[in-house]
Amino acid sequence: MIVKIADNIISPLGFTTERNYQAVKAGESSIQLHKRHWGIPEPFMASLFKEGEIDNEFGKLHPACKYTDFEKAIILSIDKALQQTAINPSSDRVQFILSTTKGNIYLLDDKKDGFSKERVLLGVSAQYIADFFHNPNQPIVISNACISGVCAQITAMRCLQSNRCDTAIVVGCDIQSRFIVSGFQSFKALSPDQCKPFDVKRRGLNLGEAAATIIYSKKNRTDVDNNEWSVCRGAIRNDANHISGPSKTGEGSFRALRTIIQEKDIPKIAFINSHGTSTLYNDEMESIAISRAGLQSIPVNSLKGYYGHTMGAAGILESILSMQAVDDKNILATRGYETCGVSHPLILSNENCPTDKQAFIKLLSGFGGCNAALLFKRGELL
Amino acid sequence: MNEAILELKRQIIEVLNLEDISPEDIDENAPLFGGGLGLDSIDALELIVLMEKNYGIKLQDPAEGKAVFKSVAVMANYIEKNRTK
Amino acid sequence: MKMACSINITPNKVVINGKELHYTERGEELLTAIYRSQINDYPKFFKMDSLCRLGFVASELLLNGELDRFKPREDRAIVFFNSSSSLCNDENYQKTIQDKNNYFPSPAIFVYTLPNIVTGEIAIRNKYYGETSFYVLDRLDIESMEQIINDTFQDLTTKSVLGGWLDCKDKDHFEAHLFLIKDEETSNLPNWDKTIINKIIYSKQ
Repeated sequence: MIVKIADNIISPLGFTTERNYQAVKAGESSIQLHKRHWGIPEPFMASLFKEGEIDNEFGKLHPACKYTDFEKAIILSIDKALQQTAINPSSDRVQFILSTTKGNIYLLDDKKDGFSKERVLLGVSAQYIADFFHNPNQPIVISNACISGVCAQITAMRCLQSNRCDTAIVVGCDIQSRFIVSGFQSFKALSPDQCKPFDVKRRGLNLGEAAATIIYSKKNRTDVDNNEWSVCRGAIRNDANHISGPSKTGEGSFRALRTIIQEKDIPKIAFINSHGTSTLYNDEMESIAISRAGLQSIPVNSLKGYYGHTMGAAGILESILSMQAVDDKNILATRGYETCGVSHPLILSNENCPTDKQAFIKLLSGFGGCNAALLFKRGELL
Repeated sequence: MNEAILELKRQIIEVLNLEDISPEDIDENAPLFGGGLGLDSIDALELIVLMEKNYGIKLQDPAEGKAVFKSVAVMANYIEKNRTK
Repeated sequence: MKMACSINITPNKVVINGKELHYTERGEELLTAIYRSQINDYPKFFKMDSLCRLGFVASELLLNGELDRFKPREDRAIVFFNSSSSLCNDENYQKTIQDKNNYFPSPAIFVYTLPNIVTGEIAIRNKYYGETSFYVLDRLDIESMEQIINDTFQDLTTKSVLGGWLDCKDKDHFEAHLFLIKDEETSNLPNWDKTIINKIIYSKQ
C-alpha cells in the first residue's frame, strides 16, 4: 500500500499543515482585493503571500541563496515535511515529483534578480530544487493544468508500485503573476468578489498561491496502522470535448470517478472534496459527473473559498486538508456557499459537519479537458 | 459591400485565424456562432478583445457578447454606435 | 510493451515507421504542408499554437492507417514529454501584456500556455476519453520516458499509449518522436524498449 509519511502546507494562511487546518476550520480566508497590483489595470481578488514573507522564512533555513520565490516556497515546504521523518533526501531511492502549471513564468515579465531566462523552464527549476536536497535522480515535473496535483500523486503511486523508489516526495506549487492573472481575466473567469463554489450567485474563481508537500512510501498491508493514510486508486480521464470548456455531460470526471469507485465503497466515503472553482461551468459539470457516477448521496465540499485556486498546489493542498479533516472527524465547510446553484443537487454546507467515516475522494478538472479522481482511506478499511 | 462591414470581416478572419475563409464567404446577416464558421467560446472571448483593441468598446459581461455577436451586421451596427476610437 | 508504429518530425525531416516523407518546406511551413497534404479537413489546426500543430500532425500521420480510427475509446492514453513546456507560446502571450500602452491579453493565446493542451486537442480529434498526461524533464531522458509510459499501464483500462517526446522551442525549432505503444504480449510487433527508442530517435535515416 502507498502510505503518507509526512506532509506540509505553506500558504498565506500559515506555514504548517496544522496552522492551515485550524485556520480553515475556523473559516479564515486569505483572499483579498488587489488594486493596481503588478501593473494590472483591473483590480482582482486573490490569495497572495505578503511581500517578503517567503524570503523571511527561507532565510531561517538557508541564508543568501539564489532561488526564486517559487523555488523557495517549494524547498521550504519539502524541508518542513522532511523534518517529520528520518528520510535522507539525497538517497537514490528517493524520487522528487513536482506539480506546477507555470513555475517561474513571472521571470518572462520582469527578468529581475539576475535569473537567467532558462530558469523559466520547469525542468531546470526542478533540477535546482532536487540539487538543493542533493538528490541524484532526474526530478519529474507534471504539468497537466489544474489537475497536476492529483496527477503528481498518481505518478508517485506508480513509481512506488513499480519499485523504482522507496520514497516519493510530491510537491505542488504555483506563484501568481501578471501573466496568469491577466490570462484568467481575459477568460472572464475571475470573480469580482469572494468566490462562492456551487452557489447560485457564483461569478467565477479567485486565484491563489501556495506550496504543499506529501511524502509517500510503500508498506505491506499488515504493517499499516489504523491512523495511517493511504492513497488507494487514482484515474485521469479526458472529456474529448473542448480545450477550455468543461464537458456538458461531465464525461471525463464521470469516467475517472467510475474507474476508482465501486458501489460497495460508497457508504464508507465521508465526502468528495471537489474542484469547486466557483465558475459557472466547472461547478455545474461536477454536479453532473457526481450524479452520473451515482455518488450524490455523499457530501461534497470545496476549499476554494479559503485559498482561491492554487493551481499546481491545489490537488496536494486540498488532499492534505481533507486527510486532516477526516482525522478530526470533520467535513470542512464550503466557504461562500449559500444556495445550491447547480442543476444536479449535491449535499453541500457552509458549516463544518461531523463524520465518522474514514475515506474521501479528491476530484479535479482542468484546461485541456483533463479530469482526475483519487481515493484516499485511513487505516486498513475499504 | 459596406466598407465598415468588409473591414470588420477582415479583422474577424485575422484574429480568429479563419484560414481559407474570405470576407465574401461570411454572410453578414447569418449567425456568427453555431453556423458554418465553427466558432466557440474562446472565439467569443477573442471578439471581446477585438472590440476593445480596435474600437475602444469594453464588454464587461461575456453574456452581453451574445447579443452583440449575433451577426457581423449586428456587430458592425453596435460598433458604429458605441466606438470610442 | 510492443511498438505498433513511430514517427519523427524535425524542422527539415519527416520519418514515419523508418520511411522518410519528402517535403520541400521547412520549419513552421513544414507543419502546414503536412496538414495540407495529409489532413486538410480540420480548420481548427490554424487556431493551434506551434506545439499543438506539431503534436496534431504527428499524431495524424501516426494514426492514419489505424482501423476504427475515430471510434470513441477510453483504453488509449496520451502521454507526452518535453523540456520547453509551452514556452514558445508563453512568449507569444507575454507580448500581449508586455506593453502597458498596448495591453490586450489574448484568451486565444493564453489557452495554449499549458503544455497539456496538445493532449486535449488530440483527444478531441480522436474521441479518446482515456488518460492524458504531460511531463516536463530538463532534457530528453529516454529512461524516464520509458518508465513513466510503462507505468501508465498500471491503470488497467489503458491498453495502448500514444506517447513520446514533443518539444517546441520556437515556431521553427521543434522535435517530435512519438510512438504507438501496445500492451500485447503475444503479437509480432517489436518490443518497445530503450534500444528501439534510441534507434528511432537518433538514427540518421
